[in-house]
Amino acid sequence: MTQPVRPGFGAGAASHMPVAAAAGLGAGALFVIGAAIAVRIWVAGAAERLTTPEAEQPKVAVADQSEVGYCTPQFKQVLERVLHSCGLAEGDSRRGCQPADVKTFASISDDDFNALFTPLKDRGAVVMFDEGEDKLDVKAQKLLEDKWFARKGARYFFVVARASKSGNQAKNRALSHRRANSVMFHLNEVASDPEIEQKVGLLWLGNEFAQLSKDYCAWPSSRGDVKCDEAAINRSAFVSWVDCRL
Amino acid sequence: MPGSKVKFSAVLALLASLLGLLFSSNSTLDYAKHLDRRLHDVHCSFIPGAPATSEAEACRVAMYSPYSALFKEHYWGGVPISLFALGAFAFYAAFSVYLLVYGSRAPRRAWQFFGFVSLLPLLASLVMFTISVTKLGTVCKTCVGIYISSVLLAVAGALGALSSKTESASEPRIVVGPVLPLVWLISLAIVSLVPALVYAASAPDERPYITNCGELKVPKIKNDEFVKIATTRPLQPTLLFEDPLCPTCKAFHERLVGENIIEKLDVNLVLFPLDSECNWMLDSALHPGACIVSKAVLCGGNQARQVLEWAFEEQEYLTRAGKQGPDTLRAAIKQKWGDTMLKCVDDRKTDTRLNNHLHFASDNNIPVSTPQMYLGSRRVCDEDTDLGLRFTLGQLAPEVLK
Repeated sequence: MTQPVRPGFGAGAASHMPVAAAAGLGAGALFVIGAAIAVRIWVAGAAERLTTPEAEQPKVAVADQSEVGYCTPQFKQVLERVLHSCGLAEGDSRRGCQPADVKTFASISDDDFNALFTPLKDRGAVVMFDEGEDKLDVKAQKLLEDKWFARKGARYFFVVARASKSGNQAKNRALSHRRANSVMFHLNEVASDPEIEQKVGLLWLGNEFAQLSKDYCAWPSSRGDVKCDEAAINRSAFVSWVDCRL
Repeated sequence: MPGSKVKFSAVLALLASLLGLLFSSNSTLDYAKHLDRRLHDVHCSFIPGAPATSEAEACRVAMYSPYSALFKEHYWGGVPISLFALGAFAFYAAFSVYLLVYGSRAPRRAWQFFGFVSLLPLLASLVMFTISVTKLGTVCKTCVGIYISSVLLAVAGALGALSSKTESASEPRIVVGPVLPLVWLISLAIVSLVPALVYAASAPDERPYITNCGELKVPKIKNDEFVKIATTRPLQPTLLFEDPLCPTCKAFHERLVGENIIEKLDVNLVLFPLDSECNWMLDSALHPGACIVSKAVLCGGNQARQVLEWAFEEQEYLTRAGKQGPDTLRAAIKQKWGDTMLKCVDDRKTDTRLNNHLHFASDNNIPVSTPQMYLGSRRVCDEDTDLGLRFTLGQLAPEVLK
């Protein structure tokens, strides 16, 4: 790093020259080689980790439809049967399930069937009808729309229509069917969803299966301000999105 | 005492160089660690030797910025400029040792040379500091460590050069010829390059990994449309999942804009707010208010890009507003975009549209994180949207970089 001293300079200065140069060169070599080795080690370490899979992969949440607590295996089983038996899962032309179908595929008692829907109390609502009628009144329409547009992560929307506790079975069957259809028609009007058929599952129970007790009067309904009894609560369609993955 | 100022200058230069070595080592180490494509903490402290931390946003911004490295299209992440600092400070440290050992008898030309070249890190620091302030809007602490080292080094160099002129030596000074400073200068250049050459030579081949992050299963959104982000020369079909209140999305968007990439992308946007108010995939809101701001972007229509960029620009304010409640946020939207926009935001149909976007994410089982970029239907890995962005685009969509 230095050149020779000029003649006439002191011996002290001259003796410093090789020492200083050697120190500078030595330090230079140390720092540069040290830096190069460090860089090489850091990069090689990363390269090795790159080719070695992590022992414990960090868990990454994956986007999916919602799945909440009430999606018990039993609930899912019934849900799945409804989807297959009522033509939702395959997307064919069959729409809905009548009481005989529900009885067959659900393979559970009336009370157990209703109990499955208990956790949906706040997610869903009871749309009520006048006696012998299948027309949705304004409040029913509004409630139905509120529930429909609060879809969030659910995939399926269930409509469980009933008719009356008393009366002719065939007439009740037809009435509950018409009520389920009324709900479906209104949803078709407001939803503008070409895939609505793959989302809405219709069940009509007539007066044969899983009728509601008076306790269900406490559920959110389109006529919360009107006197409710067992007859009234069954003139209804229970509607709800179902937050279960299948 | 004869030569005391010169000695002091040499000691100060050595300390400054060692400090610079330490900070540039930390910066280089942070960069090199990320070559494994994993998440790592980053050194971000004024305190030399302070451990890496996850709270290092400013240093991450600097690291992911286009100014942090060279040759980003050829090497994954590029060759970090801290490597040149590492080499240069190694030279300055060695030269300081040389001057220190010489003491008061050090050749005047050596000090003059040192005084001159010690300004180079200061100049580089001034450039980088200006970029940090004007382009990045943040200053990283590790970078500040390098800036401080550079200032100290320049002070030491100037002081030494001046003192060698004025101070009398206890013994006659060595005289060196005019060629030697040229040799030193060449040495400085070579030594500055050594760490970068070693890095480039040993960097792993990342190409096999950039295509391993999955593909879209469902290419189109059901019953709805993506949000079109207007660009001037759309070449590469690109799908982005973004949350307007997500700081990482903002940084990513700024990188795309800053590197002049976005204009060549044919961007479809999917709103994916990380806010549990509308997004059922989260237990709690990561970005409260993001659902409302996302709806504003959906309502933007032809102006969607402007609304998105407004949300990014005003992100801090909107985030605060979001925490205060929906009314504050709605007022902010109304103030900027008017009553019609607010009506659209409050419309049920917009809720449904946002829900459709979220269901699109769910149908594709994408990771619950933002931002996410898909070139065509191929997902760009997270690490390739930050450090490896230019390299990955160079491999998968080279026309975007032309």
